[in-house]
Amino acid sequence: MGAPNLSNAAAIVGAAESDVIGYPEDLTGHKVTSLQHHIQAIKNVSVQTGIPIADIQGIFSAGWSGELAEHLGLRPRYLDTTSVGGCSFQIHVHHALAAIHAGIIDIALVSHGEAGWSYRGGGGGGGGRGQVSPGAEMTAAYGTFGAPSQYAHAMVRHFHRFGTTQEDFAHIAVVTRDWAQLNPRGVMFGKTQSPFGGPITVQDVLDARLIAWPLTLYHCCLVSDHGGAVIVARPEIARSLSTNPVWVTGAGESMGHQNILEMEDFTATSASRSSATAYKMAGLGPADMEMAMIYDSFTITAGITAEMLGLAPRGEGYTLWKNGDAAPGGRLPINTNGGGLSFNHSGMYGMQLLVEAYRQLSRTAEDGVNGIEGKQTQATTCVVNGTGGTLSTTGTLVLTSDDR
Amino acid sequence: MAYNKPIPPQGQHTKPFWEGAKAGKLMLPRCRDCNRVHWYPRLICPFCHSTDLEWIEGSGKGRLHTFAVQHRAFGGWAEEVPYVTAYIDLDEGDRMMTVLRGVDPTKPEEIEIGTRVEVEFEQANDDTFIPFWRVSEAAGD
Repeated sequence: MGAPNLSNAAAIVGAAESDVIGYPEDLTGHKVTSLQHHIQAIKNVSVQTGIPIADIQGIFSAGWSGELAEHLGLRPRYLDTTSVGGCSFQIHVHHALAAIHAGIIDIALVSHGEAGWSYRGGGGGGGGRGQVSPGAEMTAAYGTFGAPSQYAHAMVRHFHRFGTTQEDFAHIAVVTRDWAQLNPRGVMFGKTQSPFGGPITVQDVLDARLIAWPLTLYHCCLVSDHGGAVIVARPEIARSLSTNPVWVTGAGESMGHQNILEMEDFTATSASRSSATAYKMAGLGPADMEMAMIYDSFTITAGITAEMLGLAPRGEGYTLWKNGDAAPGGRLPINTNGGGLSFNHSGMYGMQLLVEAYRQLSRTAEDGVNGIEGKQTQATTCVVNGTGGTLSTTGTLVLTSDDR
Repeated sequence: MAYNKPIPPQGQHTKPFWEGAKAGKLMLPRCRDCNRVHWYPRLICPFCHSTDLEWIEGSGKGRLHTFAVQHRAFGGWAEEVPYVTAYIDLDEGDRMMTVLRGVDPTKPEEIEIGTRVEVEFEQANDDTFIPFWRVSEAAGD
């Protein structure tokens, strides 16, 4: 098969600029910020085309896509924030063409706002350019530092809504630690890598020092180093190689917010939407998933996400771990590498999820280095969900094994 | 003692908010087209995408939506641990982040979601009065 023909698969249907360009000041005599240029241009192209802003499905910009989506109150299903200099916008059109050709979206917004003169002196290539994110401005005063300080609010809301407890979520940490005992490269594999390694109990989790109540240390992921890479190729190439292919059977993405201030329901993430898209593409549903790799920056992240992926009823995600389903030998193995909680978490953990999902479905999970006896599952399907930001953006993949 | 915690950089689109705070008023952005209040402040209504926005004086009242107790912090906040961070559902609509006062951070199980709260302002410097929220004396209404 040759390259798919994208010729004429999409058209540019409108183009507009911000209200005053060149050397502008706004009505109050202030400089116009980069954010203003973006929003004005978006409003103007919406008016020009008659396409309501609410109908925009994909957002493409050089580093601004999350901020723009949130400012506009949109929940896009395609996010691209490729920022590679002045050619970024031609590349955005190319990416939008591919996304439209693929049937993922019908309407894409490519946006640019850059107060290059008004805020000159910062050098080229973007920078702040007069931008203070109003969301950050209105939350900067309140002494939240790092992810746990914010994720704790989600767990408290889950307690309130569903009657769950710290102990319920502690089971996620315990079971995930058990998986790490099967992965010699796991930070918490035995005592060899860390004096804190080896199995833990629910009581250990509850007794660990508080980071941000109700999160104790063991409700939180590791901070470690990691490098990972995967290669994706078309089927003919995949078939020609000596490695076992793992098929990308479904894929979806979404975002709920950028700043957790804008999280509508603190017990729900956009994984419900990203997984719905992925399941639909795959022609499979949650009941067809035989294992899961779920972003576990915190126990609450994994618990909520299991619910969003449809693997458990609302409010009951933690039961998968508590009743042993997620554990080694269980009905639905989850986070078989030992998770971000006990294997490795470098800050952006999505690659670790991908690598382990590949290993499991390609039957290479027990190579003695990255896994010992008992780690390889028989799963032929795996749902992989990454969560970014502060329970903000999500990407879901449905992967299937070649022996399925 | 001088205010020793982070002071937010003020953007140029939020001047009415900070001016109001100086006078002890909680100013909120509202859309003239759909009449909805939104928070944080936008250049465009996030609900109906109108750019016809105005600032109104809010009641400064709301309810506790969720909270956490911070046991680990940096800078000036490190001297305050443990303290309670919270999200407040404004009576006018939408939600604001804050540090919640008038609660015991060592007894989080006694803090009630949904409890009534009121805004107050603390001066951080000549231009910045930061809103904090406190559990209302007459809680429960």
